[in-house]
Amino acid sequence: MAAAVQTETVAITINDIELHVPKGELIVESVKRLGLEIPIFCYHPRMKPVGMCRMCLVEVGFKQPDGSVRKMPKPQAGCTLPASEGMVVYTDTEMVHRDRKGVLEFLLINHPLDCPICDRGGECPLQNNTLAYGPSTSRFLEVKRHLPKAYPLSEYVTLDLERCIQCGRCVRFTEEISGDSQLAFRFRGASMQPSTFQLTDFESRFSGNVIEICPVGALTSSKYRFRARPWDLETRPGLCTLTPCGTNVFYDYRSGRLVRINGRTNEDVNEEWTSDTTKFGHDALYNNPNRIQVPHVREGEAFRAVEWSEAYAAVLGACEGKRTAVLAGTMLSNEDYYAWQALARTALATNHLDLRWQKTLLPASQMLKARTGLPGVQYGIADLENALAILVFGTNLAADQPMSYLRTRKAWFRNGARVVVAHHEASEAESFAHVVLRYRPGTAAELAAGLANLLAPELADATRIATPEWTEAQTGVPADRLREAAEALRGTEFAAITTHGLFDEANGVTAYQTLALLTSHAGGKFNGLVNHANEQGGREMGFAPDLGPGGEAVTAGMNTAEILQAAAKGEIDTLILVGCDPIRDFPDTALATQALENVANLVLVDSAQTEACAYASAILPMALPAERDGTYTSSERRVQRMERILKAPGESKAPWQIAMELGLRAGSSAPYFHARDVMDAIAEQVPAYAGARYQDIPETGVRLANPEGLTRSNDAVVQALQSLLGGR
Amino acid sequence: MSFEVFRDVAKPILAGFGITARRLAKPKATVQYPEERREQFPRTRWRHVLTRYDSGLERCIGCSLCAGACPARCIYVEAAENTDQERYSPGERYAVRYEINMLRCIFCGYCQEACPTGAIVLRKDFELANYEREDFIYTKEMLLEARRPEPVAH
Repeated sequence: MAAAVQTETVAITINDIELHVPKGELIVESVKRLGLEIPIFCYHPRMKPVGMCRMCLVEVGFKQPDGSVRKMPKPQAGCTLPASEGMVVYTDTEMVHRDRKGVLEFLLINHPLDCPICDRGGECPLQNNTLAYGPSTSRFLEVKRHLPKAYPLSEYVTLDLERCIQCGRCVRFTEEISGDSQLAFRFRGASMQPSTFQLTDFESRFSGNVIEICPVGALTSSKYRFRARPWDLETRPGLCTLTPCGTNVFYDYRSGRLVRINGRTNEDVNEEWTSDTTKFGHDALYNNPNRIQVPHVREGEAFRAVEWSEAYAAVLGACEGKRTAVLAGTMLSNEDYYAWQALARTALATNHLDLRWQKTLLPASQMLKARTGLPGVQYGIADLENALAILVFGTNLAADQPMSYLRTRKAWFRNGARVVVAHHEASEAESFAHVVLRYRPGTAAELAAGLANLLAPELADATRIATPEWTEAQTGVPADRLREAAEALRGTEFAAITTHGLFDEANGVTAYQTLALLTSHAGGKFNGLVNHANEQGGREMGFAPDLGPGGEAVTAGMNTAEILQAAAKGEIDTLILVGCDPIRDFPDTALATQALENVANLVLVDSAQTEACAYASAILPMALPAERDGTYTSSERRVQRMERILKAPGESKAPWQIAMELGLRAGSSAPYFHARDVMDAIAEQVPAYAGARYQDIPETGVRLANPEGLTRSNDAVVQALQSLLGGR
Repeated sequence: MSFEVFRDVAKPILAGFGITARRLAKPKATVQYPEERREQFPRTRWRHVLTRYDSGLERCIGCSLCAGACPARCIYVEAAENTDQERYSPGERYAVRYEINMLRCIFCGYCQEACPTGAIVLRKDFELANYEREDFIYTKEMLLEARRPEPVAH
């Protein structure tokens, strides 16, 4: 929420208690200030009020000059009633009670009352409100409305039309929040039904949220269907480790098994929303039938289950004096990355370690900071909300950064921010874009130069040639469109978003760095975000071939692609894979397969069997993020902590623990007893994380600040641009 | 035999036999269990049974309300979805697993009270002794009422 800036307040009276509230605040919100509650169905604090359900009826009057109160003859809907001077509200009178009973009786006329089999039963606002405010019996003897039950709207969402009370929350969510407008009301009056327009699939990246905001069991999760009742579940707060956004969620589990993920409110990150990747992706991970339970070492063609000590001895034996490399997945915690890079650099004596799985792997000297002096992440997700203009460049934002997408859309929807979307293919963000710059694939750098030409006079030397007309010829973006985009951004402290995915386009790195530089010159703020869960944290922990913890320079080792190439040639004796499978994760599957075939010792630290298992010489079972304590750094550089929620299967251990125990056996590691101790070690070595010790991390996480006093330099990018544009 | 001996020993013994002799004529309070069984009170609550409808379908819909009401937390229910090919109960949902830990059960009957379909009832079978602790976990197969025999066509 934005800080309170001089807001005009009005004096209102609620239940004979006088209070001052901001002018125009909805009564349904004002009563919360007194700790009171008005029952609601259709009202949702994050969406516009519609007054459809009439559940929030209150008695309203106005103070007359003589001090008496003149009441309106009929009750008013509190969710659409803005507070005004002298307003007198009663939420607890005989009339209000009668009205609420009446509304609930009407709502229940056609509600099937199949609560025992309804997934919402037990956590249902309709149940709760009926119990608290409704009539105890029904006078309705006639036959209830009958409509299709359990209609699959999509792979994830099941619609039960009989249960719908036509509050419109789902329809408004797709219109106001996710922006895909997939749901609409068909028919009118009593036959009104929410559904997709042509009864097509409900295709949205955020469809899971409608399940949570539905006040009845009309929209339920197909994945959670009949798996548990709310009172069977235990719930603990956690984080999403599938998207780079650091989405806050609740893990709901039953008998130690994860059954569903729900959104958890964090105003700085996801408000209360989740993407479908977050909501439905964890199930396959945690309930994988092929989880590895105990360590295994290869014996001939088969594996033999062994004790940890024997497995460690086997791993260390395979590493000693050998050419070793370590590759990690992107889902590990900061502690894991730190411990593994420490192990690799001391006991294993190698700098060949990486966690990036994309095509283009930049060496540290080519990165934004080295070449322009600018930090890659300059604002947080929540800051987007207040931006007047936003430039989305070279990314499908809804797919890559779902929470940044929702904030971008909110900035447009709520504050009218002008959004410029530049991408080579269609994306969701175009639906609300002020200007769409659809460039030909591979011409991102030329487009960035064209924008720089209009927005950053300081780069004129390099971009003189890149006039709008020239840019049109190069990229296919009409010159007028480009000028319009520049006009939308000029003079505002605009936010520019792109992702590391841009590197993989032709001249993508130049485009990325030009964009950062032009944003800086034009007075904007730039975010070049990583696209994988904890990639940001891993890199800051020094899990990189040429960067140590905190970005200190080290002797450069090989990156992912080089490691795999070397392995394929047999130049690597021992390859350790921590929570990754190159065959699955690396773009070049053939190379990955060849690499795994030609490595003498392949040590696998993973949670479940993967294709790589076929080539492994030792397999160590790894606990997944929710099965251990850990901190995670999201793409906006927010460090958040997740405590252990589920029990790790079998003898699985946290990766940092595995690294530490290997290190102890090799005589190089300090004994950490808890992830907290690793974080303390990190805080000492990485200055940015000094405030991210376990006892210091607040519940909403802590966003790391960029170091002060960075100096911007144009030279490297100007040179790159000149060689790129001059060559034309 | 002195008077004291008669008073303190023989007289009480004879009085005791007297009571026995008088009781012989009255009806017996004990029964020859297990050959004989006493009729139980109508509201006796013993072993649970999952009942069926007359059509043979299970009444239980796997709603877990019994588990929620159970003060001993001894009921575990796992639900699944009926299909037209494989239908266990009317409606969408049925219990695929239904287990009661009889060692924990206190026979309070709250499950029966909570059940919206009258599926679980506590009946009068009280002979629940067993040899293994594991055998006290009653599964759905053990709890479910046998299907009534099909009526014979005449």
